[in-house]
Amino acid sequence: METKKLMTYVSICAVATVIGTAAFLVNESRMLSYLSSDPKVCINCHTMNTHYATWQHSSHREEATCVDCHLPRDSFLNKMIAKSRDGFNHSLAMTLGSYGSNLRVTDDAARRIQDNCISCHQEAVSQMLANSELYQHGDADVQMGRRCWDCHREVPHGTTRNLTTAHNNLGVKEL
Amino acid sequence: MRKSTLLTIVCVTVMVPMLLLGVSIKENKAAQQAINEVPKIPKLEPRSSEWGKYFPRQYETYMGTKKSDEIKDVLQGSPELVILWAGYGFSKDYNAPRGHFYMLEDNMNTLRTGAPLNPQTGPMPTPCWTCKSSDVPRLIDKKGELDFYTGKWARHGGEIVNPIGCADCHSNDTMKLTLTRDYLKRALDAEGSKPFAEATHQDMRSLVCAQCHAEYYFKDTEWTDDQGQKQVAKVVTFPWDNGMVAEDIETYYDQRNFVDWTHALSKTPMLKAQHPDYETFITGAHGKQGLSCADCHMPYVREGGVKYTNHQIGSPLDNIANTCLNCHSGTEQEFRATIAEKLARKDELSRTAMDILAKAHLEAKQAWDLGATEEEMKPALQDIRHGQWRWDYSIAGHGAFFHAPEETLRVLGSAINKGQEARIKLRAILAKYNAGDFQAPDFSTKEKAQQIIGLPYDKLVEEKQQFLNGLKQEWFKQGAEKGIYDPKSREGMELKTSYPN
Repeated sequence: METKKLMTYVSICAVATVIGTAAFLVNESRMLSYLSSDPKVCINCHTMNTHYATWQHSSHREEATCVDCHLPRDSFLNKMIAKSRDGFNHSLAMTLGSYGSNLRVTDDAARRIQDNCISCHQEAVSQMLANSELYQHGDADVQMGRRCWDCHREVPHGTTRNLTTAHNNLGVKEL
Repeated sequence: MRKSTLLTIVCVTVMVPMLLLGVSIKENKAAQQAINEVPKIPKLEPRSSEWGKYFPRQYETYMGTKKSDEIKDVLQGSPELVILWAGYGFSKDYNAPRGHFYMLEDNMNTLRTGAPLNPQTGPMPTPCWTCKSSDVPRLIDKKGELDFYTGKWARHGGEIVNPIGCADCHSNDTMKLTLTRDYLKRALDAEGSKPFAEATHQDMRSLVCAQCHAEYYFKDTEWTDDQGQKQVAKVVTFPWDNGMVAEDIETYYDQRNFVDWTHALSKTPMLKAQHPDYETFITGAHGKQGLSCADCHMPYVREGGVKYTNHQIGSPLDNIANTCLNCHSGTEQEFRATIAEKLARKDELSRTAMDILAKAHLEAKQAWDLGATEEEMKPALQDIRHGQWRWDYSIAGHGAFFHAPEETLRVLGSAINKGQEARIKLRAILAKYNAGDFQAPDFSTKEKAQQIIGLPYDKLVEEKQQFLNGLKQEWFKQGAEKGIYDPKSREGMELKTSYPN
């Protein structure tokens, strides 16, 4: 009887602690900010500083924010699923420190970005899209068989970039 | 197992990754803060090497301006200048500009700044320091503008010991470009086409330069000091109220009867152009395309993954591949040839103008000597004033022939015209006094010309040598005692002058 009562208290305390820690994490990680599409959210974590800085000095700054290119835009549900999956993977990588100085897109992300390139530049690339159907695809993962940025290498993050430095990067001062 | 035990185990299992994540967020935030931290440099720190600790690439390239160390005596090459500037400091000593590293040194060494013996002796006033040192914004911040601009040049010796540096253009809080000289803000607002409040970052990449590379004069401004004494400050002022074209500025000065000095030979109320680089640049093709000074004079450099602005400010021709060819096609040789041609065209008209104006001064002197009256001379002197102003405006900015070739040649053309108008009028006066065939004396060398204007060159040099070995040394000692002097700013500097030292 004594032990049983004690364990009940312990379990209540444990649940309370979990709720408290979760609340603490929501606050510390600015979790709610991830619901917005403000590019500054992406530099909650300094790993993205150079990507933010290069985007900020690019022509895309006026037209497209991070999520416009990096998340699917076909449906709200797909967007949220992708956001959650990316968020989980990013938290895991940050916690375990399992990333190097150069971040590269996954095939899944490449496909999303390519789709978004095409969706904005539809008029410019419609004929290329039609022509690409006639040829063998180099990269089956992306539309048109070749990634837009294989040629347009400067868009929008520049060619010289890693986690420690980038063009025009004197540090992100907006925070 | 009891429910409560199970629940506790689940809770602990969930807690572990949550706590790990929490720790990682904390670490990330600390790293973020460290990355974004602005270096702690005191406000208006005049020692550039202090800034250089945090910005080594910018500092090293800035120190590269040391390489431009050659002294070129311009008076030797163009003795007409001695006649044109008779009675004014520039007839004593005038060298082609060297790198930014030397600007304070050259300001102290030139014969123009004379040989003061103590804080009260002349000949120059305090504003002559304005563009020479990063101690100037510091001193203005400490004393106030009017106090700074009051008194003789030697008054600030010992306070001004570092050349132009980081603090002249950058804010210590944000490292952003900033104007440290308020007269430029006032001038921009008075001129009106680009008020200071509307200046963009790209504008600032020219405006920080325009703080010094522009036409200015010293405007007498009365004020009352702490002791209730009336003082007159000579405030650096840009004559832009009517616009920035040569004629606009000429009108500005005429409206105020402003005189830089009275010519020693012709008694003309003269104007001296300083270096209207900004004014001419914005009328040229590059200015109109929205380029800034920094685009060509401080090109980006890439070193591995790092891209930064080259602070070794100098001629873009030293680095055509990384300046002109960023935008233009063509070869380096083609560029050199084109620019040499532009320079030759300017030189041709400038030499003609100098010869005509120098002769006009000498002819005016002859007319005075023969007894010509003020009334007779006035129209001719007005032409000399305007002619020489226009010539000076076109050549005082060394890059004007390139920045705005058409405008420079146009203004030089009008200078030649004004000079010839003066000579026609003077010839009529000379004829009236039976000297219609007067020939101006020979001024083909610097020595001959300085003799004609009666310049006591050897005496000036001797006095200057005493200053260089005496008071000047004293100033750097005082600066070191005050903890403002940066010895790195003079490391390896040799004393170079165009006179024997």
